[in-house]
Amino acid sequence: MKSKDRNLIIGACVICLMIAVLAPFIASKNPDGLEKSAQQISTTQPSGVYQAPFADYSIPILGNGPYSGILAMIIGIIIILGLGYLAAMIIKRRKPPEISE
Amino acid sequence: MHIPDGYIPLAQCVIYYVITILALYLSLRWAKKNLDEKMVPLMAVLAAGIFAIMSLNIPIPWGTSGHMVGGALVAIIFCAPEAAVIIFTLVLLVQALFFGDGGITTLGANVLNMGIIGGLVGLYSFKALIRPIGKIPAVFIASWLSIFLAAEMAAVELWLAGTFPLTTGLLLMGIYHSIIGVIEGILTVVVILALEKTRPDLLAWNRIKEMDNKKYTPNEVE
Repeated sequence: MKSKDRNLIIGACVICLMIAVLAPFIASKNPDGLEKSAQQISTTQPSGVYQAPFADYSIPILGNGPYSGILAMIIGIIIILGLGYLAAMIIKRRKPPEISE
Repeated sequence: MHIPDGYIPLAQCVIYYVITILALYLSLRWAKKNLDEKMVPLMAVLAAGIFAIMSLNIPIPWGTSGHMVGGALVAIIFCAPEAAVIIFTLVLLVQALFFGDGGITTLGANVLNMGIIGGLVGLYSFKALIRPIGKIPAVFIASWLSIFLAAEMAAVELWLAGTFPLTTGLLLMGIYHSIIGVIEGILTVVVILALEKTRPDLLAWNRIKEMDNKKYTPNEVE
């Protein structure tokens, strides 16, 4: 991997980690635009047909505290980063680019 | 604006899944032709960044909150709405499966709103606005519009589902997301400016310019 790309990944990881650490403390607990609209004009409730393992971005055995949230976020970031890299490797262009450097 | 399970009847969810799968198929064909090696790390970090930023709910008036989505950002960076479709399918799938954010049955609808509508509106309104008002204002308005129209699309879907009444649904979703769109616009501009400064080679508009220059160098035009 080129050092430029390594820096991009490291830089992005640092930003993601900062968001992950800050989010449980600073993120608003208010409902988002869609939830708020639903509260005001709809009686439909989420069906809860599927229970996610880390529902509401928390780790069940760690309870609801900020550390639970931070860890859940870090797990999520690692999963997405890995899956994103893997997916992009699989779907990328096979041919070498026409213009070589 | 993640629609949870239970808000849309299954039969209608199927329609949104079909649209999303079709868009994903076209996007994968785009990737096979256009996504070169260099863009692989960018794709991965954008997906991770979008996942992270979506957790950061910023308070807006009326006891409501909102977060950045990033559909316009991805589409503008790659100059391709297809990239937004791929990244949002991945991020929304992980959010639904692991974190219960957005439903499993409504995944198709959520990809349609945030990835497909967000990406298409973001990129094409940016392209339409860049000449009359300049690059940065165009980025801001395009990303505002991408959130606003994605939210209105969700309102229409929820009306078809019988969950929201049409006019109040459009009105409330519109009001809340016109504020959330300002957050989206500011953050999109910040990310684009940061990339322009540190890694201009990653922005597709710079690469396209470069290719055009190469195409028209005198020794090649014979």
